[in-house]
Amino acid sequence: MTTHRLASRSTLAPVTERRQIAPGLVVLRFLHPHIASTVEPGQFVNVLPKVGFTAPLLRRPFSVYWIEGEECEIIIQDHGLGTSILANTQVGEHLDVLGPLGSPWRYKSDDFDTAVLVVGGVGVAAMPLLTKHFLKNEVPFSTYYGARNDTLFADEYLAKVRYATDDGSKGYHGTNISLLRDELEKGSHPRIKLFACGPTKMMQAAIALADEFNVPCEVSLETEMACGVGICQGCPVETSVTENVTSGKKFYLVCTQGPSFLKEQIVI
Amino acid sequence: MQPSNGTGEVNLKVNLGNVEFKNPILVASGTFGYGSEAAKFTDISNLGGIVTKSVSWKPRPGNYPRRIVETPSGMLNSIGLANVGVHVFVDEKLPYLAEFDTKIIANIAASSQEEYCNVLEHIESHATPNLAGYEINVSCPNVKDGGLSFGTNVDMVHELTSALRPLTKRLLIVKLTPNVTSVAPFAQACEAAGADAISLINTVVGMSVDVFTHKPRLATVTGGLSGPAIRPIAVAQCYNARKNSKIPIIGIGGITSAMDAMEFFIVGASLVQLGTINFVDPDAGTKVINDLQELMKQKGVHSVDQLTNTLVIEERMKALGW
Ligand SMILES: Cc1cc2nc3c(=O)[nH]c(=O)nc-3n(C[C@H](O)[C@H](O)[C@H](O)COP(=O)(O)O)c2cc1C
Ligand code: FES
Repeated sequence: MTTHRLASRSTLAPVTERRQIAPGLVVLRFLHPHIASTVEPGQFVNVLPKVGFTAPLLRRPFSVYWIEGEECEIIIQDHGLGTSILANTQVGEHLDVLGPLGSPWRYKSDDFDTAVLVVGGVGVAAMPLLTKHFLKNEVPFSTYYGARNDTLFADEYLAKVRYATDDGSKGYHGTNISLLRDELEKGSHPRIKLFACGPTKMMQAAIALADEFNVPCEVSLETEMACGVGICQGCPVETSVTENVTSGKKFYLVCTQGPSFLKEQIVI
Repeated sequence: MQPSNGTGEVNLKVNLGNVEFKNPILVASGTFGYGSEAAKFTDISNLGGIVTKSVSWKPRPGNYPRRIVETPSGMLNSIGLANVGVHVFVDEKLPYLAEFDTKIIANIAASSQEEYCNVLEHIESHATPNLAGYEINVSCPNVKDGGLSFGTNVDMVHELTSALRPLTKRLLIVKLTPNVTSVAPFAQACEAAGADAISLINTVVGMSVDVFTHKPRLATVTGGLSGPAIRPIAVAQCYNARKNSKIPIIGIGGITSAMDAMEFFIVGASLVQLGTINFVDPDAGTKVINDLQELMKQKGVHSVDQLTNTLVIEERMKALGW
């Protein structure tokens, strides 16, 4: 079995490590030189639940959580048949992986001096490569990470983290958005930009906050996908912009035109 | 590995009307876009043909999300014929596809007979050399206007096909819906009206409900079921059409492998289309072509014609009327 066929075709990648990082959250590490050498922060891969089987049928999208050498990691939340099969993949077994897919975060844009990462739940998967880039390039940033309680954080690759929990078991007692609001209200924050990924409610709140303080905000969306590559039209997000919209005038495709969008582009 | 396209012991070529397809594996409308996205993941020149996403006169934005739900061995979709409209189609999509060594079949969806005719004539007047013909979608379950209201009415299918026939010498294929009691009268109506072939099936109306919120999972409540889950329905409908008409059949529904395609040939299809499997693997067509060649070799079959309509029914069952 070859581990690397053609750059743009699906590839069978051997799993080299499996670790549980929080209840219901498993990280799989697999060998994939192409993805490891080309992926940018915010891109994702589409992974078949069971190599060689058509049930479950569709691939599942996962942010590329981490890369090291020729290896990549994804983080799997076990919430259904497909993800449960994937979460139970063992070292030595293979994953059928297509990617990297989607457009990266606009992390090199010059509309900010300081980045603010707003993270909730498994949205964390979109943040480590972004963190790595900011650290490496000495871009100032901070991370506001919210969860229900202190057992649910997956912060191994994050930095400069301010924690918020719904039950007060770690860090700020409340949401990461209220924590961030407190900070923003304290003083002037020249040229910050929010990068948000998490539950829809959190991203809506992040957009509202960015509107209020008049700062740029980019959100990374998660939708149902059938193909992940722009052919099925199954992953629309409503847009207020009319340029460069492929599916008529009303929608962007999350898989190719996203998954991240500027707050002005979309309606969520 | 490149498929051999008809050289060697196995000849994959298939003729339909006056068109020669280099192999019988096409990709289905709506499951391959207009080719450009999939071209990043597969060599689309390997395919026997590409049926493009349904086009209407004006662009359509498609339905509100949610549009996709996975179901056992299949998926429900409610895309709502999102498409670029016929003008962008002829200005950008057809010329792009003209660069590839494969046959193009333009699928048309509309909400009136007049619109079907206008779209076909507009494409006809901008035809590219590899445009082999048209597939008329009278079977989309996910739009309020047109779609199924045509495809479930035999008289309307006959009238529409008769109206379109004089407008082109290229292939005229009518895509039928499984959402009828029997597909036989529809196959006969298309044959009588002069269509070159029928393609079947389009998706099966289906629904999925979230039991926590009591809401339908798809925004449009119901949608179209596709994938391996519908293959037995599709095989049965192709069989029924073959028994009751002579019109050539293009089999569609849940095909994921050469074995699956073979089922359709045996019950009477001359060609097949791969749909949902393209979402799982955009390179699926090439794999199926290669495997089909191997499989035919193993069976000692030299051409697809030798497979088409070769169903064997036991004599005693025939005697009982089966
Ligand atoms: C997401 C999606 C979009 C589709 N769009 C169209 C379309 O625009 N026009 C059409 O004639 N059929 C459309 N179809 C139907 C397919 O072409 C095919 O008939 C059906 O999916 C059954 O084949 P399958 O089980 O191999 O997918 C669509 C199917 C899917 C899943
Ligand atoms: S998931 Fe198919 S177009 Fe986006």
